[in-house]
Amino acid sequence: MSPPSDQQQQQKFDWPQSVRNYVQRTFQASNEISGVGREEKESRLKEIIRSEQEKGTMFTTNWDEMPLPQQLIQKERQQALMASVDPPTTQPKTPSSAVNSKKRKSSDFSESEQTNGSTVPWRSTKALSLEDRVSKPPNDKRQLMDGALTGKSKFQKYVEKRQRRGDGGYQSSYRSPSPPPPSGPIVGLNENLEKRYLRLTAAPKPEDVRPERVLQQTLDLLKRKWRKENNYNYICDQFKSLRQDLTVQHIRDEFTVSVYEIHARIALEKGDLGEYNQCQTQLRALYRAGIKGNPIEFKAYRILYFIHTANRTALNDAIADLTTAEKEERPVKHALNVRSALALGNYHKFFQLYLDVPNMGAYLMDMFIKRERLAALANMCKAFKPELKLRYVTEELAFESDAEAAQFIIDYDQELLQERDDHIVFLTGRAGQTFENARAQAFSRVDLKGQI
Amino acid sequence: MDGLIRQFRVAYAATNGEQLAETLNPDVQTHSAKLQAIWGRGDSRSMTSDLNFLFHQDQARLSIRLSKEETNGWYAIYTAYWKAVGEILAVEGLRGDAQSSWAKVYVAWKEVTLLTIRGYTNHDFENWTIPCLYVTGRYLRLYAMRADAERALSNDDMAVDDLQDDFDPQVEEHKSLEDCARHLNRIFQTCASDRAPLEESRKWGVYYAVNLLFKTYFKLNSEPLSKNILRVISAGRSDIPPIDKFPKSQQVTFKYYEGVLAFLEENYVEAEKHLEMAWLMCHKGAQRNLELILTYLIPCRLLTTHTLPSAQLLEPFPRLQKLFTPLARAIKKSDLQAFDIALRDGEDEFIKRRVYLTLERGRDIVLRNLLRKVFIAGGFEEAKDGAAPVRRTRIPITEFTAAVQMSSGETIDTDEVECLMANMIYKNLMKGYIAHERGTVVLSKSGAFPGTKV
Repeated sequence: MSPPSDQQQQQKFDWPQSVRNYVQRTFQASNEISGVGREEKESRLKEIIRSEQEKGTMFTTNWDEMPLPQQLIQKERQQALMASVDPPTTQPKTPSSAVNSKKRKSSDFSESEQTNGSTVPWRSTKALSLEDRVSKPPNDKRQLMDGALTGKSKFQKYVEKRQRRGDGGYQSSYRSPSPPPPSGPIVGLNENLEKRYLRLTAAPKPEDVRPERVLQQTLDLLKRKWRKENNYNYICDQFKSLRQDLTVQHIRDEFTVSVYEIHARIALEKGDLGEYNQCQTQLRALYRAGIKGNPIEFKAYRILYFIHTANRTALNDAIADLTTAEKEERPVKHALNVRSALALGNYHKFFQLYLDVPNMGAYLMDMFIKRERLAALANMCKAFKPELKLRYVTEELAFESDAEAAQFIIDYDQELLQERDDHIVFLTGRAGQTFENARAQAFSRVDLKGQI
Repeated sequence: MDGLIRQFRVAYAATNGEQLAETLNPDVQTHSAKLQAIWGRGDSRSMTSDLNFLFHQDQARLSIRLSKEETNGWYAIYTAYWKAVGEILAVEGLRGDAQSSWAKVYVAWKEVTLLTIRGYTNHDFENWTIPCLYVTGRYLRLYAMRADAERALSNDDMAVDDLQDDFDPQVEEHKSLEDCARHLNRIFQTCASDRAPLEESRKWGVYYAVNLLFKTYFKLNSEPLSKNILRVISAGRSDIPPIDKFPKSQQVTFKYYEGVLAFLEENYVEAEKHLEMAWLMCHKGAQRNLELILTYLIPCRLLTTHTLPSAQLLEPFPRLQKLFTPLARAIKKSDLQAFDIALRDGEDEFIKRRVYLTLERGRDIVLRNLLRKVFIAGGFEEAKDGAAPVRRTRIPITEFTAAVQMSSGETIDTDEVECLMANMIYKNLMKGYIAHERGTVVLSKSGAFPGTKV
């Protein structure tokens, strides 16, 4: 691994960063070893670097792993000392623990069985001392010779060193975890009513941001345009930039609430659940902060929304957010009834509630009406034998007409309807697993986009 | 400082991890005098020179063997610990006029935590010292929650990430705790990713870290993150020491959270298994924990085996008694109205404990019991030629309608009763079919109500 010669030339002037770090570490106060003088260190350091340079391994040597000059000096001294006492031992390559670790691998299981009842290592001095008797003596010997090594297997040292290498960027990132705090919200200077939405990639400039005074006019303009042109792509884009301007200026007041409420309603109407969910998340926090708006209306939507996404935890939280008084308000009460009807499988009540939804809740209920019809049909097919009048299905499942009900059933199986003298019957007894399977499929496909 | 390091040496010489962890305990309530002694006059220069002496010069007196690497690690930790102690004493009003805040305590303690983690990644700390990691993590979580609570009280400007289109309410409420969760996760990773042989491995710290993470994630209302942890554990199950090798306290905590997670996913059979283990292992003096376990175990049992809690079981827990006894009584008496009232009365608490949606399903059991009563009241058909008498299995819907109206105290139309009965059949709580045109229900001759001996 000898690098090309032109690179060698360069080395004189351009040392790799790792070498610089190494030099720096050598003279760090915390790495001082008493008894090793500065001059000794310096000359040893020069020796090391020169030798690496001569070998041409300056760039390939792992300087992070290289023992410091003072450590090498100390080690040599200790070895010299030992040599005079013991017969010469080469620096042990820790054969004992190498063998041990191999053994451990194959016998991991039985060993953990042995320590049965002894649990974690620090709980049990007994187990540890047993371990000591087996594996510590060679370590102790090593310690005599080299204080810098502890009773660890070579394997572990190796693993840790590898981890350390991977840990390179850690120090800098943990010293300053966050950018300097902003000096406060910016105040916008932009006077344009309309602005295209762009995702921010850097701190916004005041000249690009509209102050609240302008934003209020923007909202009026958008409301007019929505009524006149009904162009959702345009409106959504404009609302997003409006929201962004509010956020970067930390504006959180009743105007903010009305922006999110209007955007939420428009998104609902267009079935844009992702955008709707973003708005409702903001609204929840804004209402909780005590800012006025239409919490009843939107708390009811929130419940219906989480019924749709079948998010039990969020549903639970949505109910937890309600005050006793709010639970008595019609929209909220309606949503809660929808929830409990579904929870108890009471499709009869559920479809009656579907026929009478306050505000824009029907847009949300439309999202899951099909799957609930399938669930109800699966239910009916198992319980009602041998048949049901189609009219009964139409009424129970709130279809607009017999024709609509018939079409719904035929879409799954054409054989299930039969004409009689003056009416059509639904042959529940013959449906088998048809609706059960359709139901399972419909519930597994809950659209979670925009879900937090 | 002197006393602290002496304690450190004793613990270290004995390789006693918990004793060692005690040296990092920042609890003001129990260690106020000790902490004040450590802080001394708050002179950082004298603290540094003390530590220098104790760790570097005075090594001769050390009966323990500390490598250079380890020394550096511990030195840094105790330096940071000293600073944190200063903030803690100040915020508790134990440092004269000095002022501080929980936010500052959190930051100072975070430093202690990060340095402790570094001890394992960079300074060769051995696995018996892992209780130190646990102690730092445990208090990091406590300080994070206090810092969040403190910020909620003061009307400080919220921390807004200016690059977001909308502000993030979660960040606002739990800024410190979210940060804390990341560091606890680092602790978890540090333990779980250690590939040393088992007896030297930091894997012995895994469940300590996991339990801290569970507590944190639950506070942050983030079950998905908890599920991730479970997934990591089950993927590495072969080399993580089995849970039953950990102290009982950790086992109970883990089983409890594992059970609750299954519970929230409506996996009641699984939940029951874990919760029951937690229940059996939990220390009998740990009233609060026993109560928490029962809060989920009782609804589990209600749904899996239709078992109600006995008066004897609930006796030591007045709060649970108040919550569950009316429900249990209503189910036994098949009283729909009483059940609805009991559910409504306990609603706030049930919602808070996240058992409401589960308990609500107990209404099916009440209804089943009620319909069963109607069936039994119907008596037997006339026996033919000395054969064993058979119950009347063709029952007019009107009889059931009357029963439901009496029990619920509400008027209800036949269509809804049929719907409710269809549900019973669909859920296998009742066997038979509804003949809609004839207005009768035809029940199975054998086992019309499975599991109830009828």
